[in-house]
Amino acid sequence: MIFEATQRTPLVEIESDRCLVRGECYPENISEWADPVMQALDEGLNQSEGAFTVDVELYYFNSSSAKFLFDFFDFLESASEGGRKITINWRYRSDDDTMQEAGEDFEEDLSHCCYNLVVI
Amino acid sequence: MTKNTRSDETVALHSYMQDRQTLFCYSGPMNEELLTTMSNPVKHQISDKETQEALSRRVFGVFIEQAQNIIRYSHHKTKSSGDSIGTIAISVIEDGFLIEAVNVIAPEKRVMLETTLSELSTKDQEELRTLYKQRLRDGPPDDSVGAGLGFIDMARRVSRFEFDFKNTEEGDLFIYRGWVT
Repeated sequence: MIFEATQRTPLVEIESDRCLVRGECYPENISEWADPVMQALDEGLNQSEGAFTVDVELYYFNSSSAKFLFDFFDFLESASEGGRKITINWRYRSDDDTMQEAGEDFEEDLSHCCYNLVVI
Repeated sequence: MTKNTRSDETVALHSYMQDRQTLFCYSGPMNEELLTTMSNPVKHQISDKETQEALSRRVFGVFIEQAQNIIRYSHHKTKSSGDSIGTIAISVIEDGFLIEAVNVIAPEKRVMLETTLSELSTKDQEELRTLYKQRLRDGPPDDSVGAGLGFIDMARRVSRFEFDFKNTEEGDLFIYRGWVT
């Protein structure tokens, strides 16, 4: 499943073994955009039982989207707690303190997923 | 040719904006579609080659949050479409940018806004970061006007901010000024 990037939403690619989120995220209506993404993630995860890798590379997200990211990671954490092997790579540019801090903060709530902060 | 006093007003507006280096200003009805349209010119204006990308991104973040505050909470709406009316501006200052915004608020929101913003203005970056995380986990309070994640997000991106309230014929104005340096 592919959700093409728009001016205010990131590219999202979801397959049975991987998910990519890349771009900027400040949609006009967060649930209108996020609900189908979460549903596709649920379906993608249920297509197989193998390892699942999530790459998140965001350059900006607004405060409404922060709540979406929190729920997105919470969902992955639950799946991981249920036995699924999940790796999350939080990718950020070396000069981007805001995204580095955001990545560190999300990590605090994740203990079952394998979580990596990756400088790009 | 007769002297046209109206053109003086227009020149005064031009000179005023030029003198204070206001590179973007919008005043009028706002909605999310319009914000989409405004985003690209704003991004363009704050991203010249001499400006660090990290600084531009912080300015952009404050701009988006404050524009959305106006859209969601302005108490002054157009009769026809119900769009929120407000003013938002970005100006160049010596070491960065100043983001200014004005909108009418509901009179009963003033105390809560004042309390929240006063509290935020006393916090340092680490405290703001902790508060942001906590609010993200706990969800918004019952009445999220000014107490939600948005103002914390803005406080984290600015070096300092000021706010004020003024009673006018238009209503109770809320004034926000944030410096990104």
